[in-house]
Amino acid sequence: MLLTSVIIIIREVLEAAFLISIILSLCVQLNLTRHWFKWSLAGGVAGSIALGSQFGWVSNLFGGIGQELVDAGLQVFIYLCLLYICFKFIDHYFKPSGSNATFRAILTAVIACAMTREGSEIYIYLLAFQDLPEGGLSLYGGSIIGFGIGFSCCALFYYWILSFSVSRSLLLGCVLLTTMASGMMLQAAKMLIQADLLPDGQLWDSNGLLAEQSLAGQLLYALVGYEATPAPAQLMIYMVSGLTMAGVIIARHQYWRHRQLPEEANQYGN
Amino acid sequence: MSSLRRFLLVSILSVLMLVNFIAALHGYKSSMAEAENLFDQKLTAMALQLSSVPLRSQSNSPAPDDEHMVFQLFNADGKLVWRSVHAPDQYIAANEGLSENNFNDYRWRTLSYFNFVNGHRIMIAERMDLRYRLAERVILESIVPVVVVLPVAALLIWLIVGHGLKSLALLAGILRRKAADDLSAVNIDNTPIELMPVITSMNSLLRRLDDSFERERRFSADAAHELRTPISAIKMHLHNLHEEYPEHNSSLNSLERDVDRLAHLVEQMLLLHRTTPDHYPAKFESLSLAALAGEIIAANYADFSEKEQTIEVRGDEGRINGDRFALRIMLQNLLNNAYKYTQRGGFIKVIIDTGPDSVRLTVSDNGPGISAEVKSRVFERFYRVGGDRHASGSSGCGLGLSIVEHIAELHRATISMSEGEGGIGLAFKVAFPPSLIFGELP
Repeated sequence: MLLTSVIIIIREVLEAAFLISIILSLCVQLNLTRHWFKWSLAGGVAGSIALGSQFGWVSNLFGGIGQELVDAGLQVFIYLCLLYICFKFIDHYFKPSGSNATFRAILTAVIACAMTREGSEIYIYLLAFQDLPEGGLSLYGGSIIGFGIGFSCCALFYYWILSFSVSRSLLLGCVLLTTMASGMMLQAAKMLIQADLLPDGQLWDSNGLLAEQSLAGQLLYALVGYEATPAPAQLMIYMVSGLTMAGVIIARHQYWRHRQLPEEANQYGN
Repeated sequence: MSSLRRFLLVSILSVLMLVNFIAALHGYKSSMAEAENLFDQKLTAMALQLSSVPLRSQSNSPAPDDEHMVFQLFNADGKLVWRSVHAPDQYIAANEGLSENNFNDYRWRTLSYFNFVNGHRIMIAERMDLRYRLAERVILESIVPVVVVLPVAALLIWLIVGHGLKSLALLAGILRRKAADDLSAVNIDNTPIELMPVITSMNSLLRRLDDSFERERRFSADAAHELRTPISAIKMHLHNLHEEYPEHNSSLNSLERDVDRLAHLVEQMLLLHRTTPDHYPAKFESLSLAALAGEIIAANYADFSEKEQTIEVRGDEGRINGDRFALRIMLQNLLNNAYKYTQRGGFIKVIIDTGPDSVRLTVSDNGPGISAEVKSRVFERFYRVGGDRHASGSSGCGLGLSIVEHIAELHRATISMSEGEGGIGLAFKVAFPPSLIFGELP
């Protein structure tokens, strides 16, 4: 029970924890305000309890596929928010300015949504097993250990990103946000497969190489959306969403580079 | 702004938590495997005991059990001859040795043992959920302290990091409290070696800065002192020139005015240096500000009279402990300013007012006054209101109020500026602290 609790909690916590640490560290590096963070935490906790407590009702929506659709919807929303956030991070890197209200709202929403998605599953898990005779100590002990490992990874990752120069942090942050966002689209595809809205299948099984339930597997799941037995539709959506986001980031970066070149030329000319 | 203490607390606690929790999980897995092994050994020992029980002493009625562990005993013909009450009638396990099976709505750990001596087969099974729960309960007892101790560890790390950074906080406190003109070296007892380079570099910088200020002070003082003799000689030669060339009096008079101005500048520079609070040899004595003001007015009365200015001293005696020479210069400079910038026929007032918390000396006039922008600059060295183009046409060197500021600082007095009486002109107020009123020497 303890080990099961640890694995489930780590799996749920790590993804949101990495997302928080990457976004917060980039905000620090780019001198952006972080006052929005407390609101996103409050929103995440409230959303987790709300969605978790209404799980039965949500599941019965749309002919019994409500939970899958809500989950997939949240993932797609997070992907779009991350696309916008990377875009704005690059803008702030090349042209530092205070964050506007829309940007702050998107930052708040993305973390609140990520927490809601993961937190609601933790809420349901804890609620379901708390009355079992073998629960109690092992359930809550395992949860604390899972939370502890998730928090530690998040904190160390945050300081690790801060240890780089601004340009390298931005590069690393954008790459990781791209892989995480693509991973979320992969999970959204999985939800749609479960709802029979996308075709199922199995391209390969890499569990023998790296078990999805292992700590390394969980880390890769959170960072790059590692899936040991992906379906063709999942892989396709993963590739398309990843390439789209990478393309947008590179295009925005190139746009600013080309704008800067004439300015630099003018400076040297003067 | 990032906090060093928070960074150290969070990163150390995170590493501690990560390492401890992963070690605890590893320990949990190993302990569970070891507990499984022990339970299997117990099953084997019980099977051995049961297999050696003689069959003739057994009745066919099922033996009572606790539902956690059941057994079956088969004779050499493979017939079930004895079982516990909750054991099924059929073979529990198909395979020899240890295996896991499902019956009675639970999963069981089963051992099938064949006794080659008497041909008996023993099947003994234990409920897996119960043995797992028992093992986990025992192991969790050793993991719980790892989790519980973390808040204590966080508190200790917070205190230890705070203690480690104490020297840094001490240094920050010393620098915060340091006066702007205090360039003395910073010393901290038991300075950690990590902080030594910072303190050494800072003290070296302060020393160089102090030396540089001292050189600047000495240079202006020495230069002024060295200029006194040639200026006196020029004055003497000018006097002779007046005698020898009376037809050039106009030019010589202009030259004489400029030399007087130069002599005044040199005297003021010397006074500025001498009245620096750091090295002024103050001799505090009981004196009356009103009497001192009276003396200065009497000595300069001819000048005030020549400009038809009215001057009066009002208020009380204003007895304080002060340096007579310095206060005389201060009053002289304030009155001189009022005299220069007040128009012909204007009035100048010296008001002395002894209150419970200070003795206030005010020199006010009904002259043109100064703008708020200029007020912030009048104490700057060599700053002159309006420069040489001031409407009063008076000359000066812009050091008078800097000297006044030095003398006020020497007496720990405060200077302020406001409009004169009726909102006209300018008033300088010098407030002497109560320590000077009640006879304590600073």
